[in-house]
Amino acid sequence: MKRRIDLPLLITLTTLALFVFVPMISAFEYSIRTPVEGGYGLTNYKWAVADEDFLYYILRSGWLSALTVLVTLVILVPTVTWLHLSDSKLRPLIDGLSLLPLVIPVVAFAVGAQISLPEFVQNTVLELPFLYFILALPYAYRALDIGLNSIPLKTITEAARSTGASWSRTIISVIIPVIRGAVMGTIALTFALSLGEYTLTVLLHWDTFPTWVTFVAQENILGAIAISMMSLIIPFILLTGITLLMPDRSAQRRK
Amino acid sequence: MTSKDLTLTNVSRRFGTVTALDNFNLHVGVGELVALLGPSGCGKTTALRIIAGLESLDSGKVTVGEKDISRIPAHKRNMGMVFQAYSLFPNLTVEENVAFGLQMRKVSKHLRLKKAHELLELVGLPTHAKRFTHQLSGGQQQRVALARALAFSPEILLLDEPLSALDAQVRVNLREEIRRLQISLGTTTVFVTHDQEEAMSISDRVGVMSHGVLEQIDTPDVLYNAPATAFVANFVGVMNRIPADLANGKVSIFGKSLTASKKGSESGKIVALLRPETISVKKSSSQGNARVLTRSFQGASSAIICQTHEGTIVQSLMASFDTGDFHPGTLVDLEVSTNEVMVTNV
Amino acid sequence: MTSNIKVEGAPLERSAFRFFKVTSVLPALPFLLIFGFFFIYPITKLIYVSFMSNENTFTFGNFQTAFTQPYSTGFVNSIKIAFLSALIAAFPGAIAAYFIETRGPSKLKRSLAMMNGVLANTGGVPLAFMFMAAIGMQGTLTKVLKYFGIDIYAGTFSLGTFTGILLVYLYFQLPLMVIVFSPAIMSLRREWVEAAKNLGASQINYWFRVGFPLLFPSFIASFLLLFASGFSAYATANALTVGNLPLTPLQIGGLLDGNVSASQLNLGKALSVVMILISAVAVIPYLIIQRKAARWQRR
Ligand SMILES: Nc1ncnc2c1ncn2[C@@H]1O[C@H](COP(=O)(O)OP(=O)(O)OP(=O)(O)O)[C@@H](O)[C@H]1O
Ligand SMILES: [Mg+2]
Repeated sequence: MKRRIDLPLLITLTTLALFVFVPMISAFEYSIRTPVEGGYGLTNYKWAVADEDFLYYILRSGWLSALTVLVTLVILVPTVTWLHLSDSKLRPLIDGLSLLPLVIPVVAFAVGAQISLPEFVQNTVLELPFLYFILALPYAYRALDIGLNSIPLKTITEAARSTGASWSRTIISVIIPVIRGAVMGTIALTFALSLGEYTLTVLLHWDTFPTWVTFVAQENILGAIAISMMSLIIPFILLTGITLLMPDRSAQRRK
Repeated sequence: MTSKDLTLTNVSRRFGTVTALDNFNLHVGVGELVALLGPSGCGKTTALRIIAGLESLDSGKVTVGEKDISRIPAHKRNMGMVFQAYSLFPNLTVEENVAFGLQMRKVSKHLRLKKAHELLELVGLPTHAKRFTHQLSGGQQQRVALARALAFSPEILLLDEPLSALDAQVRVNLREEIRRLQISLGTTTVFVTHDQEEAMSISDRVGVMSHGVLEQIDTPDVLYNAPATAFVANFVGVMNRIPADLANGKVSIFGKSLTASKKGSESGKIVALLRPETISVKKSSSQGNARVLTRSFQGASSAIICQTHEGTIVQSLMASFDTGDFHPGTLVDLEVSTNEVMVTNV
Repeated sequence: MTSNIKVEGAPLERSAFRFFKVTSVLPALPFLLIFGFFFIYPITKLIYVSFMSNENTFTFGNFQTAFTQPYSTGFVNSIKIAFLSALIAAFPGAIAAYFIETRGPSKLKRSLAMMNGVLANTGGVPLAFMFMAAIGMQGTLTKVLKYFGIDIYAGTFSLGTFTGILLVYLYFQLPLMVIVFSPAIMSLRREWVEAAKNLGASQINYWFRVGFPLLFPSFIASFLLLFASGFSAYATANALTVGNLPLTPLQIGGLLDGNVSASQLNLGKALSVVMILISAVAVIPYLIIQRKAARWQRR
């Protein structure tokens, strides 16, 4: 195919790139300054990584996010699948409910959670995955809903059931693989949202990686900046890399 | 605006390594309906889009009447086009959609709405003027699209598989309606389809395309009875392919010597092409030359599918009243009722 | 008599049967329970408590205070910053979405979608620190600009001020606009441009008669969502301001922490409820418009 340089696209991309990368690169330059010795070095990064809390909070945020993903999938996939299959009158209701968290600012939600949830819930950090689940719900629900809408769910399910698969088996080994795109999207979204969640976490007085960064900032602002840079740039590179390496779906279909 | 004739001269268009149109030539007379027929990917849509100006051409020219329009942008050509589906503007009502072309031509609101209602009447949707397009069925949407394409009295009407998204019954009704409208308005029309029955039933002439070239363009009868090339013969209608030997321009099939219509002195192994209706089946008293596989009843006629003792599958089309006792397994004699046969290389 | 009883019995039986069919909501029960417990219950309680005085009697007092200083300024600032950041991000975001969706190769589209996702969601804290490093008093960009003769700190600018926060908000609002507006662009079918051309419409005609009218609802919807996002953002502002810029989310956070004391214990709840109402005014039309637009966005 003839590929002419597309001027409007080029201008758009350049502007966007400037907008995104100028602050990012400036901040990076700042983060590798070494005021004591002068010049540049990775001192701030080394300091941050050497702190034993660094790994501790990464792991803590990691497993909390993984748990959120688990809660989301276990609750949502069967529910949404059932809603699609049964033509239940509940469907419009649950459709609407799932969007409600969009209406509530996280700060307000945090206040509500703090004054209402019983002691035994508020005493365990395990409340977070459930609260994160609520925050991710509008997006996760939508992603699964669209995924299920795009396949002939009834036929697939009936075929699986008629060959003797149980309900759980049908969901796990037939439906989820068929909508794996939507499921992967849901996982990525829920995980990212939980990993970066700050407002609710800090207002409920829990410590995770994002709240730890603000804590670090009080004693070593350069260290906090280094950590922030890492938490912005690493997912950036990782995700972009993954997308670029993944085969082009439309190209694949053509073959 | 009166209709004009349309000519494509040596039009070529390549997409990377794919040649969508290869020195393509086509002439459509004033008021004529020509269908372009061909397998998927043969360049039908590309040809239509080039006529409409929606696709650029690498070389060649498109002429309407006396005028070369190759360089005129799409919105200044005066052509109505009906797309496969989903082409109505969802933010406009049915009447606004139909009046769109006239609005672009600065016709006053009163006049263009009057014209829109006239056309809606013609396509049988006079009561749907105020609806939005998502409130219409697929068939109704295509009627509106047709009305919209005709509302500004285009010089040429272009239809790209306008019926392919519809149910069989609606498809048949609507194609008759398109034809009726086309004749009464006298609009020069190009109709793209890959449904040969559709093409054959409503067109003045049918052009069969393959790999970006026009293999043959003729009336449906000529196309069916005297295909110019083996490709056309195979593509249009059902065709039996029977292996045989060619010697001195003669082919022997089921014991009968036929004249090969393809001239030339070549001899040897060839494939003879015979329509089902030129083969008849007779019950054999002895071994016969074939065995019945199935009989499929199609109303007045029946198709009898046989296998010759050499293994070739042959289909015959006969009046149903003759075929009642051709049960599977019956030994039969196949006979050819023509004297000429088209041959092609193996 | 007996037959009468039977006649009466039949509908009774049927309604009992219908009641039993409640078991047919069973599969949705886990979802409903968790959603009810972790969401509906907290929000209901929040609304209830916002009407409670310190002595647990019913009062409008919390709401009356919510509309006096410094809380009224908080609302004004929050609405202003949400509105401006949404407005400034909406147009360039929409244009960027258009060029990326209509002209970008699919790999570019997908990696940009990912990057936008990261930027819009990574959340405010790292962003705040990044901007401190870039355009803080000693920031790199500040110095570079100074070198070229532009001293951004010559006036009253600082990251903790209204303008500063606005600038940082744009950094997640713009990618968010690209994300939420892209589906609308994708739903513009090629057939519509071509049909319009075919019917004699110039590019401009197409945009004014078809393109813009189709995109407009989604544009407004996206704008509203951006407004809601800017209105409720907490993390960035919390990290950048030191109590010098009154914003409602920060005020609520302060009251919740007990860092700020108020004579009314439930003032924070009343502020939260007002926030919910303002946010609802933006989000609910967004949801309705999205649903309407989905009508022609389907296939
Ligand atoms: N925009 C394009 N870019 C690249 N290749 C194209 C493009 N449009 C058409 N082609 C190629 O040109 C050839 C002819 O395409 P065209 O759409 O004209 O076929 P068609 O006869 O209309 O087929 P169908 O019956 O499937 O609609 C095909 O091989 C197609 O892949
Ligand atoms: Mg085509």
